[in-house]
Amino acid sequence: MTPGTSLPTPDMLLAPLEPAYMARENPARTGLAWSAFLSADALPRAAALLLEAGWHLEDICGLDVREGLVAVYHFDRMTAPGRLAIHILTDREAPALPSIADIYQGAEWHERETADFYGIAFTGNPNPAPLLLPEGMQGYPLLKDAAARAPLAALLAAPGREAEVLRKADGFNLLEPAEDSKPAKPAKAKAAATGEGTDNA
Amino acid sequence: MHSTDTLRQRATSCPAASADGGCADDQIAGDGYTCRFEQGARPESLILNMGPQHPSTHGVLRVLLELDGEYIVRAEPVLGYLHRMHEKMAEVKNPAQFMPNMGRVDYLHALAWNWAYVGAVEKLAGIEIPERAEWLRVITCELNRITSHLLWWGAYLLDLGAFTPIMYAFDDRERLLDLLQMMTGSRLTYSSFRFGGVYSDASPAFVQGVREFIPHMRSRLPMYTALVTENIILRRRIEEVGVIPPDMVTRYGASGPVARGSGIAYDVRRAEPYSVYDRVDYEIPVRHEQCSMARYMVRMAEIEQSLRIVEQALDQLPEGEHMHPKAPKPSFKLPAGESYFAVEGARGKIGVWIASDGGKTPYRVKLRAPGFSNLALFAECARGTLLADAVAILGSLDMVIPEIDR
Repeated sequence: MTPGTSLPTPDMLLAPLEPAYMARENPARTGLAWSAFLSADALPRAAALLLEAGWHLEDICGLDVREGLVAVYHFDRMTAPGRLAIHILTDREAPALPSIADIYQGAEWHERETADFYGIAFTGNPNPAPLLLPEGMQGYPLLKDAAARAPLAALLAAPGREAEVLRKADGFNLLEPAEDSKPAKPAKAKAAATGEGTDNA
Repeated sequence: MHSTDTLRQRATSCPAASADGGCADDQIAGDGYTCRFEQGARPESLILNMGPQHPSTHGVLRVLLELDGEYIVRAEPVLGYLHRMHEKMAEVKNPAQFMPNMGRVDYLHALAWNWAYVGAVEKLAGIEIPERAEWLRVITCELNRITSHLLWWGAYLLDLGAFTPIMYAFDDRERLLDLLQMMTGSRLTYSSFRFGGVYSDASPAFVQGVREFIPHMRSRLPMYTALVTENIILRRRIEEVGVIPPDMVTRYGASGPVARGSGIAYDVRRAEPYSVYDRVDYEIPVRHEQCSMARYMVRMAEIEQSLRIVEQALDQLPEGEHMHPKAPKPSFKLPAGESYFAVEGARGKIGVWIASDGGKTPYRVKLRAPGFSNLALFAECARGTLLADAVAILGSLDMVIPEIDR
């Protein structure tokens, strides 16, 4: 990359996809430079735009929160580093996201791993078999018991984050502090009784 | 309930299996992976199962191959034989309890994983580190990188049929393990970084030992070059084998010597500067040949660069504490929030993402292993190459399977 050329920032790059939320982050606080919330439909187009602009996919992290399951895609750029986190919320009952393995071939394994741990189906993954866990295993080890689930805002909108919000769609409330802003305490005995999620013991 | 259940069933049910559970005539009965890996259009092709106990698949990696004669038509790594679910353990232990796990993810460069985790915790909790501890981290982490590269060098040549080099490599590596043992108490699975510093201070004997090791290692490298690097048999085996173009690096998110052997000067120590690396003068070795030999040369050059870094770090090592006086007690609670911390390991970019809700244990910890992305490109890279070259390619990626499986 020639010095002096200004690379498009992620907010410019993803603007045509109308992200529900886009913020410039303080890397000294979070290790991120940008964070965004996109709809599942917009993900493949976002991936194509990012690949074209020279970004690579670092990892895909599943996350089980009160609002549902979230997949966090971390992207970074080798020529001009600065981490971008794209968050996509999916439904807990039938979690499904479009695969981006045809764009980023490296995503195939990340998606399979996230399917192993969270049960998210990645539609279009060329090889949707378990990656790390044995075949036919019951349950998803990183799903949380209902009582242990925190609201997304408790994790991603904690005080001192110093995010500069660039864009926020009407009705986007995932990062608003919940009514009971106190984090939910894991109640092991109760969770075992409901039989939901996995056994922490 | 979950739509992936159907996917799992599809993976479990063997397409070649008959109703009584056996497999079709030309299929060996096996697990779902073997059965799913069906023969392609070529009737003369052969399905070969390599590993998980194959000596060149260090650790336990399994690769399913479809061969046309000696040429690879298709390859598919099968992972999970060393999976230990570190990410779940991270959710049920507090950060101090989880530290020993960081010695066991990539046991060849354990201190880099130590650093990635303490870095993420320190960033999230705002823990300060005394300057002496920063330099001690640099010194031990770079020495550990040399031990990793030495082991890779010896083992790679062993894969390629050269037995002697690993003896030299282990001779030199042993001296480093003795030194690191003084600092960490361990020889392999280090977990000596602490939130707010390092476990023990450098003794004069350690400093002296490292000072003596640097010229010793430098005097050995020309012998390594003369004995191995310039050896025509090695060069013919790995030059122009396993070509990884830069776009493949981007599409798979590869990093470390795999990216730098393809002409991409990406090193986390420069890209996302951490600790005191900005106060050391060193180069990022880059090669443009994109082949296994390029990755080999990058790693050999990195040994020299790590020696440079350690030498300067010893010169700049200040007096002072190795633990911050306000370092938290082991039972401390992480504040709510998230942090991502990346370091440059011997195999590339190691990343740890922590999300906390302020509870006793982290809410979610993600471990980004460089080997995971580096190995993911193997299937594409190996297509069309000779089976014997697959061993040369796998070795050139410097895999540590426990890191990939986590």
